[in-house]
Amino acid sequence: MSIAAVKPVQDTRVLSYAGALLETMDAALADHANVFIMGQGVDDFKGIFGSTTGLAEKYGAARVFDVPLMEEGMTGVAIGAALVGDYPITTHIRADFSFLAMNQIINLAAKYRYMFGGLMRCPMLIRIVVGRSWGQGAQHSQSPQATFAHYPGLTVVMPSSSQAILDMYPAIINRHPGPVISIEHRLLYNLDFTVAPTDKRVPLTSYIARKGSDVTVVATSVMVLEALRAAQYVEGKAGISAEVIDLNSISHPDWDLVAASVRKTGRLIVADTSWLEYGVAAEVCRQLVMRDPGLLRQPPTMLGMAPAPCPTAKSLEDIYYPSQHETVDAILAQVKGDKHGIALPVERSMTEGYKRFRGPF
Amino acid sequence: MKDEAIYRRLFRTALLIRLVEERIIDLYPSDKIQSPVHLSIGQEAVAVGVCDGLKPDDLVFATYRSHGFYIAKGGSLDAMFAELYGRKGGVSGGKAGSMHLAAPEVGLMGSSAVVASTIPHAVGAGLSFKRRGASQIAVAVFGDGATEEGVYHESLNFAALMKVPVLFLCEDNGLAVHSHRPARQSYRLTGHAASFGIATRRVEEGWDVLAIRRATLDAAARVRAGEPFVLEIATSRYKEHVGVGEDFHFNYRTSDGVDAWKRRDPLIVDTKLAAALRPEIDREIEAAVAFAEASPAPGRAELLTDVI
Repeated sequence: MSIAAVKPVQDTRVLSYAGALLETMDAALADHANVFIMGQGVDDFKGIFGSTTGLAEKYGAARVFDVPLMEEGMTGVAIGAALVGDYPITTHIRADFSFLAMNQIINLAAKYRYMFGGLMRCPMLIRIVVGRSWGQGAQHSQSPQATFAHYPGLTVVMPSSSQAILDMYPAIINRHPGPVISIEHRLLYNLDFTVAPTDKRVPLTSYIARKGSDVTVVATSVMVLEALRAAQYVEGKAGISAEVIDLNSISHPDWDLVAASVRKTGRLIVADTSWLEYGVAAEVCRQLVMRDPGLLRQPPTMLGMAPAPCPTAKSLEDIYYPSQHETVDAILAQVKGDKHGIALPVERSMTEGYKRFRGPF
Repeated sequence: MKDEAIYRRLFRTALLIRLVEERIIDLYPSDKIQSPVHLSIGQEAVAVGVCDGLKPDDLVFATYRSHGFYIAKGGSLDAMFAELYGRKGGVSGGKAGSMHLAAPEVGLMGSSAVVASTIPHAVGAGLSFKRRGASQIAVAVFGDGATEEGVYHESLNFAALMKVPVLFLCEDNGLAVHSHRPARQSYRLTGHAASFGIATRRVEEGWDVLAIRRATLDAAARVRAGEPFVLEIATSRYKEHVGVGEDFHFNYRTSDGVDAWKRRDPLIVDTKLAAALRPEIDREIEAAVAFAEASPAPGRAELLTDVI
């Protein structure tokens, strides 16, 4: 199953998530003279997990450069550059580090357009990477989409595939009028995806990643892939047709699309990369209930991180995140009831699966 | 003679700022200005001397205490009063108020109520100017309290490393709300900045617009040549931190320091020039107040504009 497969299959190719990032960063620098990239390690041999490798050599140190350890200062520098017409792209190799820049992101970048009555604009792209697996622990694993999407003035996206990056980044960089936070997922970086030439007219929205009729799974980031894998499994094992929606644009999703799907299926699962409390799962429910409290035939199922900081021990981490096992079980239980009696996939650890996984997805 | 003409021009702008703020004091009990105001009375010479030492297209990034910089940079008085009144005719349609004055058309690139938060903006703008090979410079305006914030240190380090054309301008009134500097700082600003390899200068005569102007011209020339500079100017906040009153009766400070400053304050001492200029300035201010009074309040149609 492929996200790209819902589009016409023409001129497709295989491209990793990191490769898509590198292509879009390269194109942004080539196409827009006012674009520059700064962040800790953007010009080193690792190049933000391969997403900026070689760009400093290609475009020069004035446009792609390392910065001191100064998350707040860097973000403020980006705002200042944006206010005078440049387009900064900043990076944080873990989303957790962006919390050091919260003052600039929330008190300033998010406010400047509105607070000054439209006099000021600070369009920029802040790329942050969510870690998972192999002992990332409490401070290398957080996924702050709900935090950022809470604040008016910020646009928050979570690309779940190479295609999502190819579709969105060129539409964001130097085009979107405000600050954008893109929450990338480290588990996705090394995955290969089938991609088609990009032709998105409305890039910042939500998509049906897989059509179905029995249950709606609204998912974010890597959980989109988990939902697609689960949907494939339940189709083969139980003939269940699961519709998977990639929320994609977290701050500006297509709620009509979500509501129409749930109206059709009457069943809802939300699979998010973060905590459920006051998060994406809660917002999906709010949006649906506000539209029509009768949309659901039964209580929905919510999949997210356990309500604790992320533990480091593998045995705990494996039960901290929703597994493939649980995602499949959620779909089966929604459609067939809790006592569905259908065999679950043997895999317990999603990250083990991703290490073996060699797409294209 | 030339200095005399410059003095007269700068004195006029400083007097304009003082009289604008005194008008705000008059208006405040009427509740027509329903937002916090941080008056720069006592500090006007800094804004005026600095802005006159800059070129018109140099950009200033300011603080919540920025009536002075807004006026000294050449912002519209009508739009300022309307902004304070929360009216549609305000510079930001009433959404900004006193703490967030901006006038990008004359180079005031916003002001923030979160201490120190616009300092890196000036660095970012300076970095862009450098990349473009522009001759503009950026000025970060902040108080002495702001230098205790981490982002100030991050900004100094980055500006020094990258040789950013930015002027760090510290208005040193010795107070962070009600805390005196010795209780807050283990360093001296100029020595601290020098440890980053940044050239510095402290001006003690913060009442003297000509001295401040000269210091700014010198500093700006060095910045324009491609290096950051820290300019610290001693000054005195006559009024309370926020609001329109005095605060000596709270006993956290005495009036002695302010009184000493007032004895050297040209706006108080030079009564002859003040009297000569005042009628015209008063008319200007009354016209701006009338503009604000006549301007409609924003409503539901404006509530969600400029949200992306």
